[in-house]
Amino acid sequence: MAGQVKMTAIASRQSKPVGGAPSTAGTAPAQVVTIKQTVVLSQRWKGSRNLFPALIFLGLFFFAPLIGLLLRGVLEPTPGLGNYEQLFANSAYARVLFNTFSVAGLVTLFSLLLGFPLAWAITLVPRGWGRWMLNIVLLSMWTSLLARTYSWLVLLQASGVINKTLMAMGIIDQPLEMVHNLTGVVIGMSYIMIPFIVLPLQATMAAIDPMVLQAGSICGASPWTNFFKVFLPLCRSGLFSGGLMVFVMSLGYYVTPALLGGAQDMMLPEFIVQQVQSFLNWGLASAAAALLIAITLVLFYFYLKLQPESPVGANNTR
Amino acid sequence: MLLTPNAMSPRLRWGLYSVTGLIALFLLLPIVFIVLLSFGSSQWLVFPPPGWTLKWYQQFFNNPEWMAAAFASLKVAVLTTIFAVALGLPTAFALVRGRFPGRDMLYGIFTLPMIVPLVIIAVAVYALFLKLGYTGTLFSFVVSHVIVALPFTIISIINSLKLFDQSIEDAAVICGASRIQAVFKVTFPGIRPGMVAGALFAFLVSWDEVVLSVMMASPNLQTLPVKMWTTLRQDLTPVIAVASTLLIALSVLVMFIAATLRRRNEARMPS
Repeated sequence: MAGQVKMTAIASRQSKPVGGAPSTAGTAPAQVVTIKQTVVLSQRWKGSRNLFPALIFLGLFFFAPLIGLLLRGVLEPTPGLGNYEQLFANSAYARVLFNTFSVAGLVTLFSLLLGFPLAWAITLVPRGWGRWMLNIVLLSMWTSLLARTYSWLVLLQASGVINKTLMAMGIIDQPLEMVHNLTGVVIGMSYIMIPFIVLPLQATMAAIDPMVLQAGSICGASPWTNFFKVFLPLCRSGLFSGGLMVFVMSLGYYVTPALLGGAQDMMLPEFIVQQVQSFLNWGLASAAAALLIAITLVLFYFYLKLQPESPVGANNTR
Repeated sequence: MLLTPNAMSPRLRWGLYSVTGLIALFLLLPIVFIVLLSFGSSQWLVFPPPGWTLKWYQQFFNNPEWMAAAFASLKVAVLTTIFAVALGLPTAFALVRGRFPGRDMLYGIFTLPMIVPLVIIAVAVYALFLKLGYTGTLFSFVVSHVIVALPFTIISIINSLKLFDQSIEDAAVICGASRIQAVFKVTFPGIRPGMVAGALFAFLVSWDEVVLSVMMASPNLQTLPVKMWTTLRQDLTPVIAVASTLLIALSVLVMFIAATLRRRNEARMPS
């Protein structure tokens, strides 16, 4: 789902039809229309053959391994729900679940707090400036995740720039431990998630009619009332879908927590990899994976509920 | 009147602008920082650097391991792009042109690799290739990258194809072209923006892919992000900053190409 936001960034700005479609569609000779209809009729099921290459590919290399992995959770080491019991009963594993959810929650909160003013300002400032700020957001989203995480690792370390600056300013006496613990994870991930808040939120804000707010102030609302009672409720769909997406993405993130986090406080994705790579405990890894998939899909279902239109439907050429 | 800056009280306006400026700087900070560090002379990544140097770049380009990793990255990304477009193109045609039932569900199925957490895809595919004995091969890299790149190409091509009027293709058929000819000579040029965007996305996804690659990698074959990952776990040498800078440079270049193509495309079309 990260991808969908990433894509709106570059691809879907081609709002104009290619090839002068609207003019031809309306005035096409009757002959063409009838031929088109017969062609379409004969192609109705023929067209579905084109699905096979990708379906076979995904079936072999995506769905089969995924189902295989999920089955191992109930089959290994002994058939039954033992792995799931272990996952919830063991306090060390419960700690992993707690970490995962609290980090995802904090990251969502911080990225909303930082993304909201940015999205608002992009809507407010003159067009040229807004475009530049959007470009900054896109740049930070599309530059290598690993490179940015490495950069945070260097910035946040005990002898890093941030600690040195804070010490030079006299705010702290000794370096703060901001890396190899959950603080580092939350800082790094909030940074990475900001664009995923800004892009949907900015789209929502741009669609708000300024007249509504004007009406509010004419009717006597103070700026504060106007903000909380009119503006914020109008942004709600953008805030919800952005926040929900960031939460789901944070639950499944591996790279940033693995590099900025510590060995003690793991999150679910690291836990899965560790069980596979270090302990070869595929059963437990699979149970954890099933849990993560289930949570992701349930939340994604709510996310889809917030999106009004069907992606492949015919009548939604924007 | 919160959507027009002039109507805000000056204090609120400047408050908002300065907060926004700081957040924009925060977004740029790590990127600029890492690029500057790659030219800094300090082994211990002291900032601001005591002097400027190109020695880390020399170390990077003279080290056969880093070069092999960069070359492997490029190879995997190019192959991934080719296969993702080749698989995505017919799929997009079927989803847009076909009128069979269950298209929404099929669309969901094809975009599922975007939604399922990468770690889980990585572990599942790793298990499969472990059984088949394919881990650490070019094949395993390309297959795993195509899985996650495919939704990007499918969605890009769908977006373009939905805007392309099929009656133009039909007109070519009426004028005597075969259906295949019409698709290749009329429709493909018409949806080229979507195909190019899809290809660029697939390339970027593969170029920057860490999680899948770390699981697939072997000492003989590793991509640039994998080499960075393994090196990072030992020490924070500035050579990693060089590799980061190169990753950033290529992403920026691809984004720039995408933006330029889009602008040219918009300019060419009558409004």
